[in-house]
Amino acid sequence: MSTLTALMALLFFPGGLIILLVGLAYEWADRKLVARFQNRIGPRWFQPLADIVKLLAKEEVVPQGVHPGLFVTLPVIALSGALTAALYVPVFGLAPSYSFSGDLIVTVYLLSLLTLCTGLAGANTLNRFSLIGATRTLTQLFSYEAPFLLALLGPALAAGSWRISAIADYGADRWLILAQPVGFVVALIGLMGKLELPPFDAPEAETEIVAGALTEYSGRGLALFRLGKGVELVVGLTLVAAFYLGGVANPIAFFAKTLALLGVLAGLQSLLARLRIDQTVGLWWRYGTILALVQFLILIVWKGLAA
Amino acid sequence: MASEKFVIPIGPQHPALKEPGHFEFNVDGEIVTDASVRLGYVHRGIEKGAETRNFVQAEYLVERICGICSHVHATAFCLGVERLAGVEAPPRAQAIRQIVAELERIHSHLLWVGVAAHEAGFDTLFMYTWRDRETVMNLLEGITGNRVNYSANVLGGVKCDIGPEQAEAIQIGLNFLEERTRHYLEVVSSDAMFLRRTRGIGVMTREDAERMGVVGPTARASGVPRDVRIDAPYLLYAEHPVELVIEEAGDLEARFKVRVRELFESYRVIRELLTALPEGELTARIPRRIKPAETISRVEAPRGELFYFIKSNGTDSAERVKVRTPTLPNMASVLALSVGHQLADVPMILAGIDPCFSCNDRMAVVKRNGDEQVWTWEQLRQYGIEYYR
Repeated sequence: MSTLTALMALLFFPGGLIILLVGLAYEWADRKLVARFQNRIGPRWFQPLADIVKLLAKEEVVPQGVHPGLFVTLPVIALSGALTAALYVPVFGLAPSYSFSGDLIVTVYLLSLLTLCTGLAGANTLNRFSLIGATRTLTQLFSYEAPFLLALLGPALAAGSWRISAIADYGADRWLILAQPVGFVVALIGLMGKLELPPFDAPEAETEIVAGALTEYSGRGLALFRLGKGVELVVGLTLVAAFYLGGVANPIAFFAKTLALLGVLAGLQSLLARLRIDQTVGLWWRYGTILALVQFLILIVWKGLAA
Repeated sequence: MASEKFVIPIGPQHPALKEPGHFEFNVDGEIVTDASVRLGYVHRGIEKGAETRNFVQAEYLVERICGICSHVHATAFCLGVERLAGVEAPPRAQAIRQIVAELERIHSHLLWVGVAAHEAGFDTLFMYTWRDRETVMNLLEGITGNRVNYSANVLGGVKCDIGPEQAEAIQIGLNFLEERTRHYLEVVSSDAMFLRRTRGIGVMTREDAERMGVVGPTARASGVPRDVRIDAPYLLYAEHPVELVIEEAGDLEARFKVRVRELFESYRVIRELLTALPEGELTARIPRRIKPAETISRVEAPRGELFYFIKSNGTDSAERVKVRTPTLPNMASVLALSVGHQLADVPMILAGIDPCFSCNDRMAVVKRNGDEQVWTWEQLRQYGIEYYR
């Protein structure tokens, strides 16, 4: 791949600028759907973009008592982690820009970077809401990360490869949701936990700890964190759709399937009351992980018998 | 670190609070180990203001103590002044007062269900109840012309009549609300995810409730039979009584159930009053000056017992007006119940008593170095005179 096309892929399409805009569009779709479910009007189509523009134009206040270098770089690392992850997944139904054996694990780690940065950003400040928020963010990370990874490894095991493009090709022929329903549910709910969507929004529960770990963030830092979340939403939905919903071989299938998943997410967000952090951990380790593990074991045994 | 306290401040400005109040919760991880409160941020000097105005002006003023239960404040004040003057409002006026009071209870309880659901992160219930609350607010606007401070009361009666058209509009509105309320009762008593946040949380036993002297739905959710409408009927509550709604569990779920079930009682009693609306005058004449006397007037506000002490001195204004709103006796329970709970439960426990800070704030003494903490009556009086000069 020549340098020019590599730069294009990194900065413009399918990574970079376009994925940022699609992330914002998905964020709008999510907000609008939740609003309609809640009998509200909801935001106009350009509202997420307008929010970002406004935040970017604002002064970034660096509070006292923080490490200024960390405070400024953490949002950048978070966003770049999400953007890098986008290069390894088949967004828009195209083949991933880069691919190597084992890129599934790297992608999952890159996706965790956002949460990790959020936690660090909260722990970096002296704000008491941020500190509690950071603790909750990291606690939540430890509760959903293992089952989420297991849920993605299910299809990998079935496909016999840890390369995302290979799993996506395998998944394109069959709807793995039928063979591994538990994995699908765990992956989807895990994505909600990752993105701190209700009912897993205890780390940023506004009625308790204001904005959680990001309480002290304003201006550019906050904008970058929010952009990162939008990108992660798209990447996460792509992974789940590609692995479990019969693949995303073309743009039409991509948008249809990811938006359908987004509709399910929005429905769950409006149906459920917020879980306390201890309930979140309990839910994941008592049910989510056990179920995912059981299915994983069944898969291994079945593979072994078939071979 | 173990010896240092980690204090989570909630307020005076905080998304969980719609009004300013300051709470400090010491936490150990997520568990609250100690709680304290500071009130008084919205002290507005209304009692003193009411004493410097004549009775008619004071009635206008006390209606503005609370933005949600404005009508009960005016009712309590009017009932007290009428008793001092030896006047009784005509039956039709009393019936209309009671109808407006019950409509106000509906509006207040629906608002509370929404706010409390929001504290639990259940925004869908919040949006739905507030949408339906519009119905009752429109009904109140239809009767009185106002959505918030209805100004239905005047000394000696009411300002507005309820005609057959309005009565029918109210019936239609109540039918809609009753159906919705049945749905909400089902949600708060059966939604599994929501029950995880309410069942067994913030349990107040009957003994605790009696000891802390809580009032209103908070007390009734702990099995304390306490309702001024039943214990000491005023207006037409003797002829058209409400049934006591009581729950034994004492947790947040019980507080939800009590309030939602009370709505059905309100619907029933409004319908009963509308069909048996007495004919007659709307107002009785009331003298401008009232001979020296004092009285106590108690009514059941949506949040609990509302207490007025009024002392007249022979002029056209009150010598003393003392108001105790239901939030004050209930506030102690928040601090007692929070300890031992998770931080995540605290906003719900706080919202569970339906606090109304600005109604509650009467006086604030900010401690400064060298300030005496015990004030004599003379000092206090002098301070008041200086403050309002």
